[in-house]
Amino acid sequence: MFWRMVKGALFRQRGKMLMIAFTVALGASLSTAMLNVMLDVGDKVNQELKTYGANINVIPKGASLLDDLYGVGEGAGVSDKYLRETELGNIKTIFWAFNIVDFTPYLEIKAGLPAEGGEVKLVGTWFSHHLELPTGEALNTGMINMKNWWEIAGEWLADGDEDAAMLGSLLAAQSGLTVGDSLTVTTAAGPVSLRVKGIFNAGSDEDGQIFVPLPVAQRLGGQEGLVSRVEVSALTTPDNALSRRAAQNPKSLSIKEWETWYCTAYVSAICYQIDEVITNAVAKPIRQVAESEGAILEKTQLLMLLITILSLVASALGISNLVTASVMERGREIGLLKAVGANNGPVSWLVLTEILLTGIIGGVAGYFAGLGFAQVIGHSVFNSAIDIKPMVIPIVAVLVFFVTLAGSVPSIRYILSLRPAEVLHGR
Amino acid sequence: MSLLELRGVSKTYGNVRALWDIDLTVEEGQWIAIMGPSGSGKTTMMNIVGCMDRPSQGEVRLGGVNISQESGKNLTAIRRDKIGLIFQQFHLINYLTALENVMVAQYYHSLPDEKEALLALERVGLKERAKHLPSQLSGGEQQRVCIARALINYPMLILADEPTGNLDEANEKVVLGILRQLHQEGSAIIVVTHDPEVAEEAQRTVVLEHGRIARIIENDKWNKWNSVENSAANNEENGKGGAADA
Repeated sequence: MFWRMVKGALFRQRGKMLMIAFTVALGASLSTAMLNVMLDVGDKVNQELKTYGANINVIPKGASLLDDLYGVGEGAGVSDKYLRETELGNIKTIFWAFNIVDFTPYLEIKAGLPAEGGEVKLVGTWFSHHLELPTGEALNTGMINMKNWWEIAGEWLADGDEDAAMLGSLLAAQSGLTVGDSLTVTTAAGPVSLRVKGIFNAGSDEDGQIFVPLPVAQRLGGQEGLVSRVEVSALTTPDNALSRRAAQNPKSLSIKEWETWYCTAYVSAICYQIDEVITNAVAKPIRQVAESEGAILEKTQLLMLLITILSLVASALGISNLVTASVMERGREIGLLKAVGANNGPVSWLVLTEILLTGIIGGVAGYFAGLGFAQVIGHSVFNSAIDIKPMVIPIVAVLVFFVTLAGSVPSIRYILSLRPAEVLHGR
Repeated sequence: MSLLELRGVSKTYGNVRALWDIDLTVEEGQWIAIMGPSGSGKTTMMNIVGCMDRPSQGEVRLGGVNISQESGKNLTAIRRDKIGLIFQQFHLINYLTALENVMVAQYYHSLPDEKEALLALERVGLKERAKHLPSQLSGGEQQRVCIARALINYPMLILADEPTGNLDEANEKVVLGILRQLHQEGSAIIVVTHDPEVAEEAQRTVVLEHGRIARIIENDKWNKWNSVENSAANNEENGKGGAADA
């Protein structure tokens, strides 16, 4: 009989129950969407931030020491310490290899400009370098990926362009050079004529520099197979106390802490692992970038969490109002049940069962709607799909259960206080 | 032992005295009508006898048990086991069929039994309408479902609050016929009514005025009533509302 009554209430009062289910669905859908986005937003924001450049700088140990002691700019062309180009592929073999999005080496040499009578920094790098990894995998990495915000007049260089260069916009303006012009530079290898293939505007010191493919710089500088530094763009986890302690001295960690730190994508852990695979190298996080990324990520996740909580609170209030209104509307029916012998417990359980079943229906519908909302958010904000996290299902189920339960509290209190004589006989 | 005894029962709501020093005895199998103008205390008396309210003063004994100060839970159990309620507005659950409405009373009493519920509906002439929702039934039919629900647990006392108040003449006759039949089968019935024709069916009519029993009329026949005047003047002198025993 209990289930006949529940069935009767659900199917013969469809309008009211659908309204409650709709409110639950709304809360569940928002929670599902926000939780899925929140759990995926780390990767998404990280990916997004990676497009704004590297967050790790790898330099030779000696250069690092100069930097630490005298504040000499890393790889400023004054250091005679170098890294081996052949070891760079090892960066993609570390524990967090999949988190290494891009990397590119730089070899910086001084070059004279006979026309202007001054010196300029000539930088050799990878533009879109095809790299065969020791693991047998291959990847294309370089400046084109890492500096995609540069404004280019003309074209990016290709790694095979031996007689071409890209000029910073400042230098091009000073020299009166445009795309297609020729530029003569003097290096240790003698004067070389380079065709201006592109002029870039980076909005930084690089606007006064000349960029050429790495092999060209190595040949002109007489530094075959060497690079001054490497910029690495990696997906990282925001720092916490453990990672900050580890960054200062990994040996201060206990074995368990060390394992936790090593197996988490903290920027310090990734730097440590890069140190392990490149001879005489020191990988340093570019603090401003790494910390900004962490802060943005934390704030974004906090925002998502707050929206989720607010949507659940709104949903609970909505359910509460609807259920209370519905129960008050059914006051006579509940009074009648009490009059024919039902105690508070069975009546409350009956109403609660109806609401929870309605909540389940609304919750399931809301979950699937939420998955849709999450994809809409993913495509409109990040231009990519949001990964569906199975762990959201139990979270949403528990949330819907408690929100529905919390929303039912006023109606249950009403039921407990309702006296049949008041609703049946008006006294 | 009387079925129902009210001794010095009063009920006040704040400063309003709804019932005042009521003495009344109902024997098993008796049919009592309670009449009186609006505000005379009929519904309050009905609620107290029906275990839906407690008196402010006095004692109510049902089946020999003093129920005056029982807890809400115990009153619910007494109501469930001993009383059948019939309402003017029927109070059927609108999303349950006629059969299910009868079975609800069984469910909260003991165990629902569909066959027995169908028999109860057959008794009030509604077996064929068992699967209909209240909205698909006429007023008279709804009241008959309400009567079937009141009967289903074999109560020792049937309380009917204006059972024909919302019915046309034809349906009123049908409902009164059912009540008459129940009385003949030995059920004790208390009917609250404004309708003299309904009161005529009862063995006694208790007339309430201003919360007191004004008089009790023994109804062998409506036109041969022996009015037992319960002198209001005497009561006022004695400071009592009214007293009468069957």
